Formats: sequence, C-alpha cells, structure tokens
Amino acid sequence: MTGDTTDDTDDPRPGGETSGSADGESTRGDGGTATVGDLPTTAPDEDHEHGLPPKSSIKRWLVTTNHKDVGILYIVTSLFFLIFGGVLAMLIRVQLLEPGGTILSDMAYNQAVTVHGLLMVFWFLSPFAFGFANYIVPLQLGADDLAFPRLNALSYWLYLVSGLLLAISFFQGNSFSGGWTMYAPLNVPVYTPSVGATTTVFALLLFTASVTVGSVNFLTTMHRMRAEGMTLRRMPLFTWSILLTVWMMLFAFAALLAALMILSADRVLGTMYFATESPGGSLLWTHLFWFFGHPEVYIVFFPALGAMAEIFQTFTGRRLVGRKWFIGAMLLVALQSFVVWMHHMFLTSINLQIKTLFMATTIGISLPFDLMVFALIYTMIKGRIRFSTPFLFAFGGLVLFILGGITGVFLGAVVLDYEFRGTYWVVAHFHYVMVGGVTGLVGGLYYWYPKITGKMYDEFLGKVHFGLYFVGFNLLYFPMFVAWETPRRVFDYPEAFVGWHQVATVGAFVLGVSFLVMFYNLYASLISGEDADACPWAYGSTAEWAVPSPPPLENFPGRPSYGGGALEFLDRGRTTTDGGETEAATDGGVKAGGHGHGHEEVSHASIWPFAIGIASLFVLVGLSGVRTGNVAYPATFVGGLILLLYTLVAMTRESFHGPSGPFGESWPFEGVENTKLGMWLFLGSDVVLFGAFIGSYVFTRVAYGWQAWHVVPHDPIPGLMNTYILLTSSFAVVLAMVAAQKGNRNGVVASLAVTLLLGIGFLGNKGIEWWELYHEGEWVATSIETSTFYLTTGLHAAHVIVGLIIAVYMLVRAWNGAYLDDDRPVEYFGLYWHFVDIVWLFLFPLFYIL
Amino acid sequence: MTGEFAVVMQVGEFVPRGTRQAVFQQIYWVFLVLGTLVGVVVVGYMLYLAVAYRAGPDEADDDGRPKLGEIPQGGGKGRKLFLSFALSAVIVISLIVWTYGTLLFVEQPASAQEQEELEVEVTGRQFQWVFTYPNGHQTTGELRVPKDTRVRLGVTSADVFPNFGIPALRAKTDAIPGQTSDTWFMAEETGTYAAHCYELCGSGHSDMNADVVVMEEEEFQQWYENTSNGSENGNGNGNESA
Repeated sequence: MTGDTTDDTDDPRPGGETSGSADGESTRGDGGTATVGDLPTTAPDEDHEHGLPPKSSIKRWLVTTNHKDVGILYIVTSLFFLIFGGVLAMLIRVQLLEPGGTILSDMAYNQAVTVHGLLMVFWFLSPFAFGFANYIVPLQLGADDLAFPRLNALSYWLYLVSGLLLAISFFQGNSFSGGWTMYAPLNVPVYTPSVGATTTVFALLLFTASVTVGSVNFLTTMHRMRAEGMTLRRMPLFTWSILLTVWMMLFAFAALLAALMILSADRVLGTMYFATESPGGSLLWTHLFWFFGHPEVYIVFFPALGAMAEIFQTFTGRRLVGRKWFIGAMLLVALQSFVVWMHHMFLTSINLQIKTLFMATTIGISLPFDLMVFALIYTMIKGRIRFSTPFLFAFGGLVLFILGGITGVFLGAVVLDYEFRGTYWVVAHFHYVMVGGVTGLVGGLYYWYPKITGKMYDEFLGKVHFGLYFVGFNLLYFPMFVAWETPRRVFDYPEAFVGWHQVATVGAFVLGVSFLVMFYNLYASLISGEDADACPWAYGSTAEWAVPSPPPLENFPGRPSYGGGALEFLDRGRTTTDGGETEAATDGGVKAGGHGHGHEEVSHASIWPFAIGIASLFVLVGLSGVRTGNVAYPATFVGGLILLLYTLVAMTRESFHGPSGPFGESWPFEGVENTKLGMWLFLGSDVVLFGAFIGSYVFTRVAYGWQAWHVVPHDPIPGLMNTYILLTSSFAVVLAMVAAQKGNRNGVVASLAVTLLLGIGFLGNKGIEWWELYHEGEWVATSIETSTFYLTTGLHAAHVIVGLIIAVYMLVRAWNGAYLDDDRPVEYFGLYWHFVDIVWLFLFPLFYIL
Repeated sequence: MTGEFAVVMQVGEFVPRGTRQAVFQQIYWVFLVLGTLVGVVVVGYMLYLAVAYRAGPDEADDDGRPKLGEIPQGGGKGRKLFLSFALSAVIVISLIVWTYGTLLFVEQPASAQEQEELEVEVTGRQFQWVFTYPNGHQTTGELRVPKDTRVRLGVTSADVFPNFGIPALRAKTDAIPGQTSDTWFMAEETGTYAAHCYELCGSGHSDMNADVVVMEEEEFQQWYENTSNGSENGNGNGNESA
C-alpha cells in the first residue's frame, strides 16, 4: 500500500474487470465506471423513495428503515436527551452554590445526580455516536443499508421508548435515586421502594435490548457487507472505531442485561440476590456492573476517537501517522477492557493479589491510549491545518482527553485511588474523559452536518460555540480538581471550597449557553444555510464525501468498489434485467437516480418496529407497578403483552427485503449468510447472559458456603427426565431440517410437531416440579437458594417458551408448504434450539446434582 | 509475599512510608508535578504544531495529501510515534511501580514497626456511623482515638453500601453488608476531624458524617477506662482479640 494511489481523474478500468458484474452486455463507451471525480454534486430528485413518504411527512419518520433516516432520528433524539440531562446538571450545579444546598431536597438531589448520569452515559452519548454510525458507516463501507433495516428501526424505537420510560419514572413517586452505578442493596425495594425506581431499571433494560439488537445488526453489516476491496484493514478509522465499539457492546451489554434482569426480579418477583442478607449480594452487583461498566467507558469514547481521527486527517490534510498501530492499539484496548473492571473496587474487600493484578491491567490499558494520542498529534506535522469548527472541536477534545488521561494515571496508583475514591477527583477525571469525547463528537456533528443536511452551518457561530464551550467546560470541570476533597454526590461540602464550586456553576451555565448557540446555528442553517457540495472539505477522503449531500436514498450511483485501487462506482449487476438502464450510465458521468429503476421496487417502509416499541412501553409500564395492587398496572401489562405478540408476528409476516448479496468483502464470514451470522452473534451475547446468571449463582453459593447451601430440588429425577426430553427434541429439529432438504412436507410438519410436543412436555414436567416445590414452601422469594434456582432455570424456561412460540409459527407455515425450497429458517431455529438445549446441560448438574 | 516485602524494605527511603497523610502527600505531589509537566509539554507541543502548520495562503500542490475516494492508508512510518510511546510508558510504569512499594506498606503496616494499636469496628447504617471498641463500648457519630497510635478500622454495614472515610487522616474504605474491609490511620495531632460517607447510600447521604476526636494518649485512656464496665483489658494496648 504505497502513498500514490490511482489518480482520481477519469481512468477507465480494464473492460474485463468491470463488466463481469454486468454480464458483459453493457456497451459502455469509455469505461462505464464513475470515478469519484465526476460525481453529481446535488441530490437527485426525490422521486425514488422506495415506498417511503416524503421527508416532510411525519409518517415517513415512523415507518422509515433507511439507515440515514434512522441515523438522523438517533442524532435528534440524543440531543433531546442531552438537554434533559443538561437541565438536571444545571439543577445539581445550582444546588452546589452553597454548602448544604439551595433548591433541592435530599431525594430530589439524589434523583438529579442519578438520572443525569444515566441520561448522559446511556441516552445521550452512545446514541449520539450511533446516529453518526448509522449514517456514515454504511457509506464508508460501501453498503446500501444495514443488514437488517427493520431491526435498525426497531433499535431506534426501543431506544426512544426506553428514554420515555425514564421520563415517566419521575411521575411514579420518584425516579431511581441510588446513583447511575445502582449499587446494591440500595437498589432493592426495601431501600428504594418507589414504582418509578422500578421503571428506571426497566428503562435501562429496554435500552440494553435496543443496544443488543443494534450490535447484532452492525456486526453483521460490517463483517459481511463491505464493498469489493474494502478489507477490514482498509476500513476508515471511524468505521474501525465503531466495529470495535459494537463488539464490546455485544458482550458488555449482555452482562448488564443479566444484572438488570436479576435486579428486576429482585424488585418485581421478590428474589433476594442483592438483598442486604444475601451473602455477597453487594459485591455481586459491583462485579456484574463494572464488568459491563468499564468496557462502557470505551464504548462511549471510541466513536469520538474515530471521529477525531477522521477530522484530524481531513483538516490537517495528512493521513494518520502509524494508522495500523493506531488500529492495533484500539483492538488491544477493546480486548483489555474486559479485564480491568475490579479497579473500580479497590476499596472493597478484595485481596492484595487481585488488586495488584488489576493495577497491572489498568496500566496496561492506559498505554495504547498514549500511542493513539501521539498518532493524532504527529499527524499535524507538515499538515495544512485549517481551524474550521470541526477541527477546533476535535483538537479541543484531544486536549481535554489528555488532561483526563493524565489525571487517570493518578487513579491507577492504588494508594492514591484509596484517597480519591468517592471524591470530585473522580468526577472531574471522568468528565474530562467522557465530555472530552463529547467534544470530539460535537466536532463530528459539524463535520458531517453538511453531508446529512445538504446545508452549510455558519462558521462564525460555530467558532463562537467552540469558544464558549471550551471556556465553559474548563470553568466547570477544572475547579473540581482543585476542590477534589468534596465527597461525590454530596451537597454539604467544606466552606473552603465554596468559591471553586461557584466558579464551576458559572462554567456550567456558559457551557449550557454554548449549546444554545449550536442549536440556533444548526436550525438556522437548515432553513437558510448555503447548499453544501458533495465534499465541502479539502482533503476529505472517505466514501461519504464521494456521494451527494445529502446522499440519495440508495446511497451510491453504482456498485461501489475499491478493487481498482480507489473508490469507483460500477454498474450494478442487478440492473441487468433492464439493459437499457445500464447503458444510460455510460459515458463516465453517472446519471443519478436512473440506475436503480429495476432493482429496488420493494417497499422500505415498515410500521412494525414503531408498533413494537409502543407495545414494549405498555408491557414495562404495566409491569413496573404490578406489586402496588392497582389493577390498572396488570391490565396494562397483559394488554401490552398481547399487543407485543401481535406486532412481532405481524413484523415477521410482513414481506420485506433487506440488502442481499453478493457483497464485495465478507471476511471472515464469506460462507455464512447474513441471517445466520446475526443468529450466531445473538447467541454469542446470550452465552454471556447465561454465563453471568450462572456466574452469579456460583458466586453467591461460594459466598454462602458451597456445602452449606441447600439444593432446592430434592429430587433430581424430573430434571434428568427433562434433559432427555430436550436432547430428543434437538434431534427432532435435525429431522425437520433433513425433511425440508428432501422436500418432504409431511416430514417437516411431523418433526416440528414432535419438537413442539417435547417442548411442551419439558415445560409441563417443570410445571409439576415447581408446583410440588411451591407446596413444600419453596417458592421464588423463600430464600437465596430458591431465588437462584427459580430465576436461572426460569430464564431458561423463558427461552424454551420463546422457542415454542416460534415452533408454532413455523408449524403453521410448514403445514402450508413453506421451507421446502428454502430450509434455512429451520436451520436457524435449530441453532437456537440446540443452544437452549446445551444451556440446560449446564444448568442441570449445577442446580440438581452438585 | 514476605520476600517481596523485604526487597521493598531494602529500597529504603525511596519508598514513602509513615502516616497515611505523609505517604499520600509525597506521592500526590510527585504525580502532580510530573503530570503538570507532561501536560504542559504535550499540550504545548500540540499548540505549536497547530500554529506552525496552519494553512497558509500559498496553496502548494497536493502531492501526498489524502484524495477523495482513496483506500484509507497511513501516513508516516511512526518511528517518532514509538519513541514517544516508549517514553510515556516508562514514565507511567515507573510511577506506578514506585507507588506499589507504598501500597504494600499501606496494606500491611504492622510489619513496619512494633507499635501500639487500637482496633475499632465501624458499622454504617442509614445514615450514621456506629463505632464499637474492643471492650464492647459503642458510640454513634463520634470516634475517639489516641494520638500517635495506629488505629485499625474494620468497616462493615448493617443495611446498604456506604463508604467510610476520614479525609484529613487519609483513611477510607467501603462498608459492605456481610463483609469487613479494613483500613487504618494514625493521627499526629489532637483535634476533631470529620468523617464522611463516600458512596451514595440514600436520602441522608449528604449528612452522613461523624466526628473523629483525636486525644492525648493519657486523656484517651481515662475516657476509655470509664466506658468499660469492668473490662480489664480495655486499655487499647495491643490486646486486640475483640
């Protein structure tokens, strides 16, 4: 890979190389490829909206599945949550104007710090970054859309609904007030009894579901759907940062999901995992939470790093120094992020050896960041640096991150950490890091704003925003280092710090005002800004700048390829049904909008993701108050559940075609189809979920005393029977697949029916067992032993029930003759079913024998 | 473990030891000075580069600059990158290793000197601190200790998960239900110090404070003997079987 690539002027590619896709029937004159130099710079007429209503219509935004639309939805929604969280931050700062507080009660203050933290970390930072990821990553990869467009829309709607749930929680008594880290046992109803606190936990649960769906989608897309020549190593840096982010998300959020499911059970079913009496309950929470929580730090920071790298390259006019080492460092951090969690627990009762180990891994993870920071700095050398707003923010973000990093080294020294724990040093440090990341992403917002809107923002106002932002930021957070001895989440602090806290409050308002400037700028520019070119920046190099601003719905004027050494757009193989169309795009200039006629007639609209989101809202609001005795809650819950089932089935039955192959680069999953890869990834996160449940059980039992533990089912026989029943049912699914391959309808129906019956047998057998235990006085909330038994095997039973619902659906379809020419759905169901089976093989000995 | 410790001991004066206040102060200042230095150098260099390579009016040719649609690639070989990376790694690792010796001392101060010690159980409950002395005497919201004596605290909780800390004496540890975590301090001057809660523990978190009263040794003995109902060994001197 040398510095000089092919020229970006008209450079006809050898005919044989490009015409392969067009079956050689194209009659291109001088090479029918569009190279990026001669692209249309304005958007084509919006007459080609793939069955979507126009953008001015509200309905468009409810039914859209297009990645660019969803990206915009994410960005706008996350900015709304920024305002929400920002207002809470202002309340906190006003409260801290004087020791002892000014305007908030104790509980109001605790809610403010808790929900501020939750909103900023979960509902603002990550979704803000994923708005860009949605919009930009498919463009940078050369993909038409994400692998599963409807799931992408579903991720968004679940995210929005989860945020609404959080807002609703304020109106149910009060919201959660135990800090964003939700330490146990303060997080159980004995200490935080309000319905709103439960709703907060559910909000986070739903957010986690949204993230999991999104991670599976992004990973499938990024591994399978890259343009020809776009190997993993060649991916642009922003895309690289997102790839690593979603890998971390897939596993880290599965651990959080487990923690939240257990917490929900503690709050609603009365299990006792995190109760004061539970042996190791408090520590269990810290382990589960920080196993998620530390990767989360990088999950929110990586996209900012990627955006900063892109902005640095463009505005210095230099390629990133040591690019492959930069990527290697990110990869290393992503892996290491899963082995540093206990450095949040140095003052718990863990022993010195473990502290030493985690001190070492913590230093280890800080070093790759040094390399990344230096790579960005050295990229400026010999640059042609332009101080446009995006660069100012990226540069400022890097400065802030460096300060955050240096103060982080203090925390890496355990002796110092002992003293900094729970103080404003920590608060200041992570705000420098995380809000430093926000700074980079705000740079990204200005950087991609012309691409997304087709309008140029006002440069002067952009610079004003940066000035206010940077001054406000440092006025706000730097005094926290000086007044670091203030205990965290406390509004009664020593008199000596009054001045510093008042300066911080002033800074908070300056920072807040700077965002008003930004909102005004973005809004006014949208209405009356100048039209933006396809690439408004000199030295913009990645693919999003090679398409019009904003890009047409189908993204590219042809099939993107890097096969010839630089981005070019080839005729789409799929348009060959209609030869005349391909010929229209012959003379090097692509006639935008003309190419796609034949190939994308199917509708890209679906209302079901939105509907599923609404149904989830009812389910969770209903569930939050089932223990209050108010009938409206269970009624809402049941109604929501019915609606949820209906919308899920409706979405499954809807005819919808996501992007289908062949794609250019799919390493390392060339041989795996999109849906199958998606299923594997989902099961991967499910492994972590069950792993966390099993780990929690083992941890609790060890803390209790392994031998002293009372094994709940006194008779292992029902469990043993169930093991055989499940094994047999797995075999029946295999038979169903074989029958489908042979085209034997009756065989498919019969095998699926056997699977279904065996599954029902499993549940029936379990029901009898539970019934007996119940009558012996061993129910869910009886003891810590019964809690772990019912919850873990109950999670497995829930997986069985979901499997059976799918089996019923498939049985009906098989009866009508489905799967005979395409047995893949049976295969994917089989994957799931075998997985559920394997999980039982672990649960049975753990809960019945040992 | 002991071998490790012996090595550290031989390093002698280089590793900060003494009261926790002194230890913290030394390490903190070294970090602060070095951290400020590194920060100033790095940020200063960034600013220098930004000014030095700002775009001028002369638009030279674009050779070697990123082109639209190129395959993403790196610029420069990064020799400088590795040099600075190595430098930063040396600074960070040596700093941390240096403090590790002190960590060993802080974790096991007993082997440093043979000293009088007082051991007190601290129990957090919403929203107060309860102190239990070896003789069984309990106080709430006030801990009395003698000066120049190592005070070991075994901290636990009766309900939620607070954190007990005495900032001026640099003692702090989590209070976890069902577990005991240890910390210690030694006060060199008499007076009243404040203890706070350092982990959000509920509505009264902001006010969950306690006083730590450091007394002259004799004064403390007098007070302590009056608290014990016929407890002969209630002198706080070494007999820490409680």
